[in-house]
Amino acid sequence: MTSPPALSRDFIGWRPMVMLLLPWGVIYAAFFLFPFVFSFVLAFLKYNPLNVQNTTFVGLENFSHLFNDPRFLRSLKNTLFFVVGTVPLTTAIALMLAVLLRGRVPGKGFFKAGFFFPSIVSMVVISLLFKLFYAPDGGLNHALRAFGLGGHTWLTDPSTALPAIMVMDIWAAVGYYAIIFDAGFAGIPKDLYEAARLEGAGFKDILFHVTLPMMKPVIAFVLVINTIRSFQIFIEVFMMTQGGPLGSTDTLVLYLYEAAFRHLDYGYASAIAYVVFILSGIFALLTLKRFRSDGKAPA
Amino acid sequence: MNKTLQMVLLVVVFAVMAYPLVWMLSISLRSGAGVSLRYYQEVWQAGPFDRYLLNSIVVVTLVLVGNIVFCTMAGYAFARYKIPGGRILFILVISMIMLPKQVILVPLYILMQKLNLIDTYAALTLPFAADPFNIFLIRQFLVTIPPDCEEAARLEGAGEMTVVFRVAFPMLRPALAVVAIHTCLINWNSFLFPFILTNTTEMRTLPVGLALLSQGAHSVDWGHLMAGAVIASIPVVVAFLIFQRQIISGLTSGMSR
Repeated sequence: MTSPPALSRDFIGWRPMVMLLLPWGVIYAAFFLFPFVFSFVLAFLKYNPLNVQNTTFVGLENFSHLFNDPRFLRSLKNTLFFVVGTVPLTTAIALMLAVLLRGRVPGKGFFKAGFFFPSIVSMVVISLLFKLFYAPDGGLNHALRAFGLGGHTWLTDPSTALPAIMVMDIWAAVGYYAIIFDAGFAGIPKDLYEAARLEGAGFKDILFHVTLPMMKPVIAFVLVINTIRSFQIFIEVFMMTQGGPLGSTDTLVLYLYEAAFRHLDYGYASAIAYVVFILSGIFALLTLKRFRSDGKAPA
Repeated sequence: MNKTLQMVLLVVVFAVMAYPLVWMLSISLRSGAGVSLRYYQEVWQAGPFDRYLLNSIVVVTLVLVGNIVFCTMAGYAFARYKIPGGRILFILVISMIMLPKQVILVPLYILMQKLNLIDTYAALTLPFAADPFNIFLIRQFLVTIPPDCEEAARLEGAGEMTVVFRVAFPMLRPALAVVAIHTCLINWNSFLFPFILTNTTEMRTLPVGLALLSQGAHSVDWGHLMAGAVIASIPVVVAFLIFQRQIISGLTSGMSR
């Protein structure tokens, strides 16, 4: 055969294609697609792993039960509070940090590395650290006493437990997003600044009328990934409070975990999983839509 | 903005960021009157942290090799071949990046149980051996390179595997560096899945071992807990000190692409 060798863009034949896609395809099908579909089916079943023979189809019962389940409603409320409380604040602080890092500052690389560092440390380590840090004799009260402020048992008071965890999450995440914003700033064409300066714009004018509008796609991206991540909050509450005190830190994924592996109610756990999936999807789409409808920058 | 004000603010923020970490370190080193590594020695044995460390290294290495090989293959196919229905398939891949992984937690656990793989390295590595995000990265990187070298190799009669691993692979180095950083960090710090998919001390990874330590007999003992937390972070710190620039630029460029 002397037919010309296939060009990259042409159909190259089934053999190499199948060969290259097979390992990923098998892993994807077995450990992703199948569990994903299985999870959907589970959400409509009463499925107890110790009594699989008596699995029954219950229709929408798992979902309708959710809305009469005080623990679910509490977890939903806490998770939404966590997302709405941390995502905008994290984004705002990260933006301010990135602005602070603008221009020529001595030790810039050092500051960048320092801000970034917490985001590569395991959440297990951070949660454990802050569990002790927030304790009556912990580092926070120790520091507060230096300013003459009284100590507080942050994690055992239902009114401060969740906010304390939120502050920790913001502490852990701002550096990461600040570095993303810093990279975004670097991508803004220099002549835009020059033009603004020539027209006599000050620092504030440039920030609000040049920099931030140009950053819209990056801000939208950060909001979306942070929202999706925040809906999955689990390690923090699992490590620090186990949902307590008085359910004040119950979250959706903590409840999912306990429904599945403590109460052995796989169907109910899957229903919760789909709530997390759908809610974070809706929030992400709303964010994108909001940022697009302004029509200033394509996300 | 005023340079002095900028500098002062940066230092203040830095101090606030660093304080909890410094506090952790000081608790782990303070025992009795002076500074000592006593807590480290004791918790290392109580862990057993040598076993956790070994497991973490084995798991991360296997997952990394899997991702480098499998994602290069799949990424190459998505970038270079006209696959029937390839666009839809690729959109499927991308859409899975954003999916909250907890959705597959319970079914994956059932599956691993049925396959008798609970508490094995297979359970800790196979599901994570071809991360769709890595396929996405490699594919996006490849479409920016013209396929000339690969064509030349094909003209000389090279098979597709040779083209992928001998010709395209070396050109992929910048993308593979991002893949490696991303894969190592995510899997080194991973908790929920390794926690669910193992049930003996021998198979626990570092984060899982540390979490269980904090809920066990040592839970009241701050020095041991903080020493354990530092031990679990040391590999990350060392990697960060060496590859700081690559990690920062890799993670941010990878994410904002």
